[in-house]
Amino acid sequence: MNNKKIEKAILDIVTYLLLSLGAVIMVTPFLWMIATSFKRPADQFTMTLIPNPATLDNYRSLFNVDLNFPLMFANSTVISLLVTIGQLLTCSMAAFCFAVVKFRGREALFAALLATLLIPFHVTLIPNFIIFKWLGLTGTSVPIWLPAFWGGAFGTFLIRQYFLTIPRDLVDAARVDGASLLQIFWRVYLPLAKPALAALAIFTFQGAWNDLLHPLIYMPAAPNTTLTVGLAFFQQQMVLGGKFTILMAGAFISILPLLLVFFFAQRYFIQGIALTGVKR
Amino acid sequence: MEAGIKPLGREKVWLWILLAPTLFGLVFSAFGALLATLGLSFTEWDLFTSPKWVGFSNYITLFTDKRFLRALANTAQFAALYVPGVVIISLFVAVLMNRAIKGISLYRTMYYLPVVTSAVATALVWNMIYGKDTGVLNYILKQLGMQPVCWLCADRAMLSVVIVNIWGAIGEGMIIFLAGLTAIPKEYYEASEIDGAGRFQQFFRITLPLITPSIFFQTLISTINAFQAFDYIYMLTRRGQGDSSIPVVVFSIYRNAWHFNKYGVASAQAIELTLIVAALMAVYLWAEKKFVVYE
Amino acid sequence: MRKTALFLTLLLALSVILSACAGGAPTATPAQASPTSAPVEVTSPPSEGKIQLRMMMWGAPEELDIWKQIVADFQSANPNISVSVEVSEWESYWTKLKTLLAAGTPPDIFAIDAPYYLDYQTRGVLLNLQPYLDANPHVLDDVYPQTLKAYQTAEGYFGLPRDFQTIVVFYNKDMFDAAGIPYPSPDWTYDDFRATAKALTLDKDKDGVIDQYGYATDLWDMELFWSEAIWAFGGEIISPDHTKTLIGSPEARKAWQFIYDMMFVDKSMPDSTTAAQYGGDLFQAGKAAMTTIGHWAVPGYAEAGLNFDVVPMPVGPAGRATSVNSAGFVIAKATKYPDAAWKFLEFVISPPAQTRLAELGFACPVLKSVAESPAFLEQKIKINHKVFLDSLEFAHMKPVFKGYDEWASVIGDGMAPIWAGEEADLNAILDEIIPQADEVLQQYNP
Repeated sequence: MNNKKIEKAILDIVTYLLLSLGAVIMVTPFLWMIATSFKRPADQFTMTLIPNPATLDNYRSLFNVDLNFPLMFANSTVISLLVTIGQLLTCSMAAFCFAVVKFRGREALFAALLATLLIPFHVTLIPNFIIFKWLGLTGTSVPIWLPAFWGGAFGTFLIRQYFLTIPRDLVDAARVDGASLLQIFWRVYLPLAKPALAALAIFTFQGAWNDLLHPLIYMPAAPNTTLTVGLAFFQQQMVLGGKFTILMAGAFISILPLLLVFFFAQRYFIQGIALTGVKR
Repeated sequence: MEAGIKPLGREKVWLWILLAPTLFGLVFSAFGALLATLGLSFTEWDLFTSPKWVGFSNYITLFTDKRFLRALANTAQFAALYVPGVVIISLFVAVLMNRAIKGISLYRTMYYLPVVTSAVATALVWNMIYGKDTGVLNYILKQLGMQPVCWLCADRAMLSVVIVNIWGAIGEGMIIFLAGLTAIPKEYYEASEIDGAGRFQQFFRITLPLITPSIFFQTLISTINAFQAFDYIYMLTRRGQGDSSIPVVVFSIYRNAWHFNKYGVASAQAIELTLIVAALMAVYLWAEKKFVVYE
Repeated sequence: MRKTALFLTLLLALSVILSACAGGAPTATPAQASPTSAPVEVTSPPSEGKIQLRMMMWGAPEELDIWKQIVADFQSANPNISVSVEVSEWESYWTKLKTLLAAGTPPDIFAIDAPYYLDYQTRGVLLNLQPYLDANPHVLDDVYPQTLKAYQTAEGYFGLPRDFQTIVVFYNKDMFDAAGIPYPSPDWTYDDFRATAKALTLDKDKDGVIDQYGYATDLWDMELFWSEAIWAFGGEIISPDHTKTLIGSPEARKAWQFIYDMMFVDKSMPDSTTAAQYGGDLFQAGKAAMTTIGHWAVPGYAEAGLNFDVVPMPVGPAGRATSVNSAGFVIAKATKYPDAAWKFLEFVISPPAQTRLAELGFACPVLKSVAESPAFLEQKIKINHKVFLDSLEFAHMKPVFKGYDEWASVIGDGMAPIWAGEEADLNAILDEIIPQADEVLQQYNP
């Protein structure tokens, strides 16, 4: 018995060491981004993690630019939220059908859905633009978030895999209780899928937030566009002049909302992962 | 994979209602765009005048276009390095993360962090890290008494770019594998212990076979991502006016469509990329039938 | 298969044509939120009978403000026309412009970089301005002829320049002073230039890494240095009929060798991987003593706190040479209001608008009277602005031809490994890429 305890202790220490080393690698780029954003431009290449002296000037430059960042920030937020809601809703609906309901052609349809993941989006940009132009929707943000409401291959795939791990006895029990298909989806599967939904929410929000091309071609120019487009507009001069401190400040601001969404949602799925599966 | 519940009578309506949005998107958005791309690949279109039919000539030139072939080779090399790298490393990390030790939640959060960012924003930091004379990595190497390395020079750029992409994807793989690992019933391990199995045997006889579904998912997604990778590669290797030292196929598509006024050629390249990845998918699906264990 | 594809292509072509007929109406743009510091009201909301024009251009956030002021001036002179201004960064600009053109809803007026002009003009998407010019023969009287050349075609003008750029040598006065080297004299030669660069390349802290380069520039695009060098050595870039690439002639190769030696023998120029660490412009980053660039860099350099001035390009074995290029405006053929759009173009080339542009400081006005006036010569940033104007005398036009983008990418991509230090055989690379470049030319200019 004692041997087992020693073995576990050694393995635990090794685990901590390895994980810690890896964690440093994972996190350092972010620390570097934040650190550089507080350095004076002259110090941008110093190798210190804690800037000394630290300055807020880089952030001040961002807000001094005449670009109405708050409006772009608001646009980005609204659009990203709409996209996330659309995906969560329609992907889970489809995933339920693919994972749980028997119907003819299910496998073929699912394969067809997966196939759409293969299409590089640069070329589909123009055909889609022409369609939205027909509909008179260019110049608005609608073409950016509306497609989120008609499903998505990745989201459906992710949730379907998760639904597949939920034990069938729950469904059988619900059926015995007289539940309809819709109720099984809404009352049984959806609540149990929180980890997968949280993961999809993060992924989708991030994709929408970082999207450059779609807001670029559909929305008017800065400042009536999203934050990503506005930052690209602002940053071109900074890159040329090697103004990395300001670039880092802009970069950090641009990912801050993503980090916030992440820290909020990770409770559900980083910790949630530990709870699933044990239910057997 | 298993059979499911059969919708009863009028419930069939609900099945179609639930599927309707996805079906609509599939037909009108995805396949509509795919067909348009396919159609355009048989034309020469400069975006300003109407497309001109040219038959297969775009596809034929793909075989002789040195720049495209180079992009294809780069993409294949990138995928060959990236996919095994990200799958193996994130599996290893997940196995470590699966142990019940204190503070594991914090570690998991830290490992997922690189996933939750904008590649464009983070690539800026990596440029600073990889800098030849000004970079953090070389500074550390010098402090350790080692020779600085030119991370973004031709011979090493591919590896450096693969590292950044793996860094950005470990968290996702970790979560996928964790979900798979925690789904393995504890009884299997307990039973094998009674039979006298050691840790290694447990890993190879129990763990590995039972997480093959996760390995399948992760490999599939990573392959698709590898062939469409663009942001990190471009931001780290770009030079001049829209050029890159490691051009990949997506980059070539972008340039032909938006810089060279050759939308037809870009479409053909996109279709070819799609076919290559589809072929790989077919291989994976065949492998799934042979190797993946579903309970 | 063939039938379906054919059908789809026809469908797509039909949709493009249909949308071009039906389109042209400016997209519903909600009034842009005015930046708090703008002293002037932007576009007034459209009312009955008011013409609304859409203008797109690339530029920096600072330029947005000045153009809004120019637009405001125009609108007060033409109360029934309102113009909305959209400024984007370079790369995004072309993507958005081409998407709009492909869908048949281009902006009424948009900015063009002269080398790309023929790509648009030969494809019939630009409005022919010749009728307007014939009716108003004095509009172009005072415009520098060297800036107009790029826009002249057999059928007349399809676009007009709004400001021009000549390339001159910028030098960092502090670095020269610190090294005790006299400022360059206007009649210096390429050898003087090379020697000066070498003398100003320093490893200040003796750690084996060069901290200050004598000269730095971008070598991918020809405009900043290599076209000037080739011309100064007696070579040419491309044949007048645009079918042959001439950068491999003996004279041109001497120019290439000169640049190569500066970078790898003298080491007074950083290779591209080293340069990338400091962003795109080492002069602005304070890491280079000299650079060759146009007037657009002046505001950025001043803002970076550099103490600098300018001097003409040096004299080469075949004389002095520099490059002249321009940003112009064109009107989309699909516009619904050609007369109103022309009025705006005319206003941009008139003294009031040109004066505002001069004050902006990014480029040189194309109107002689404004360029030679204090508005340009005595602008806020105190350097020798006259050098930019005088350089017109020996300036060669940056080549303008169909397929410029792809041709330039063959050269730029091909030479990039040399400047990155990965390939050393300059002549072999030239021999390899020139036939490829000619192939591109064959496609467009047979």
